[in-house]
Amino acid sequence: MNAHTPSTPHDQPDASSDDRRGFLSKVTSLGMLAGLGASYGTAAAYAGRYLYPARPRAKAWMYVARVADLGVGASLRYTTPGGEKVAIARQAQTGGPDDFVALSSTCPHLGCQVHWESQNQRFFCPCHNGAFDKSGKGISGPPGEAGQSLPRYPLKSEDGLLYIEVPVENLDVAQAPAAAREGHDPCLGGGARDEGALA
Amino acid sequence: MASITGWIRERVPLGPEQLRELTNEPVPNHLKKWWWCLGGTPAYLFVVQIVTGILLAFYYKPSPQTAYESVRYITEEASFGWFIRGLHKWAATLMVAAVVLHQMRVYFTGAYRKPRELNWLVGMCLLLLTLIVGFTGYSLVYEQLSYWGATVGANITDSVPVVGVYMKELLLGGEVYGENTLSRFFILHAAVLPVTMAALIAVHITLIRLQGVTEFHFRDEDPKKAKFFNFFPDHLLTELSIGLVLMILLSVLATVLPAEMGPKADPLSTPEVIKPEWFFYVAFRWLKLFSGTFAVLSMGLVVFLMYAWPFIDAQIRKWNPRSEASVWIGIVGALAIIALTVWEASVAH
Repeated sequence: MNAHTPSTPHDQPDASSDDRRGFLSKVTSLGMLAGLGASYGTAAAYAGRYLYPARPRAKAWMYVARVADLGVGASLRYTTPGGEKVAIARQAQTGGPDDFVALSSTCPHLGCQVHWESQNQRFFCPCHNGAFDKSGKGISGPPGEAGQSLPRYPLKSEDGLLYIEVPVENLDVAQAPAAAREGHDPCLGGGARDEGALA
Repeated sequence: MASITGWIRERVPLGPEQLRELTNEPVPNHLKKWWWCLGGTPAYLFVVQIVTGILLAFYYKPSPQTAYESVRYITEEASFGWFIRGLHKWAATLMVAAVVLHQMRVYFTGAYRKPRELNWLVGMCLLLLTLIVGFTGYSLVYEQLSYWGATVGANITDSVPVVGVYMKELLLGGEVYGENTLSRFFILHAAVLPVTMAALIAVHITLIRLQGVTEFHFRDEDPKKAKFFNFFPDHLLTELSIGLVLMILLSVLATVLPAEMGPKADPLSTPEVIKPEWFFYVAFRWLKLFSGTFAVLSMGLVVFLMYAWPFIDAQIRKWNPRSEASVWIGIVGALAIIALTVWEASVAH
């Protein structure tokens, strides 16, 4: 058993010592919390970065047709290597790529595939009743209300040849049904075309 | 035998007395009627989903090339596969219905009020998670409707201003529905979401234990009669009886209306008539009525108001203690949900 030793004024912590200890204790705790937050936060950021897709879809310029073969008002349907259908039409004859428009078949509202309704002269999206006119402008349904149009693919012309920039790899390459792949023509550089598609 | 019991008791110091103490939660008398037990129903169905989901995961292969074929194998070739898939599908449907009914009961009886606001928030999280689990599960089948449902669902996140595009890419694992998408949906459906739900259910039940079940007073109740009964064994037996009835109901549904296979997903062609699962009819119709960003933001606002309702309601009652605004708002909300659901169900487009 320890003998009781009376405390001396020297042993008793004074108020300033308590303050100092309290302050140091708080600073140390905050430092530890900050360290834990920073390290786990970094780990969470790495996890988020890991889950985020590493690279965008690869794209390439593909040959479509000879510029001279498409008169003003003519159109053709082009199928990308991934299987997506593109409506390409010539609207002017200045000789540049702006003469042409290439409309995607993916609805800008929520990503469904539109189809051409020849009887109504419009593209129709069955998901939410979106409709687009021949130029791809939204005319009714949610895309019409939001002023959305069908997305356009970039086009360029070089040496009298028309090219389109399209994704060259995605799920559709493996998943596209046989019918969509049948039109594939190696001469077209991976895509396929079907003239007079909008007619 | 006594030595074995003694050996266990030494290591797990829990006897019948302690067990009785732990389980003798006083339960208000109205819970003797089954329709007050709608909270236990989704919990029971959650267990059914875990068990049948584990069984389905033995054969399911989450990739665009194999998913549909593996579901077909489960449905058409694996012994009792059709039955297990049917149970899983119908338990999901009943679970959504039970969660919605439970929430309506809590809402219309004011059981979310102080001090139970936090448990309402946990319940709201469980409602949303139940819907997301339903969405991801349906998408895994990789048939036409489920594929396009998943595409529409992922693109809805794209409509959220600023962060939407990142959310969409994170969900799909790329710019479009691709090789990474199904595995992400599978991990979410079979691991991340169920574990989160199990944790939240534990918090939900713990808060109920800590605060007790809400007591209600009825005009026709006998004042001499005891107001409470014991959880064990009385209420447990009620819950077990409900569980048995649910199993019979699930078995009948899985047999009479089995889970079928639609056409395989074709990413190049959206079907002429496309519908999500019935519990998303409301959102689907709303998306047809308004442009993307407005529709998504307004749905987000409704969900936010549902979360904040206990606090909004408290403020209303502070101004007017006899206000019945919550009842009328609830009736209008329920009628709007029913109307939009029936509207979407009754038309092709």
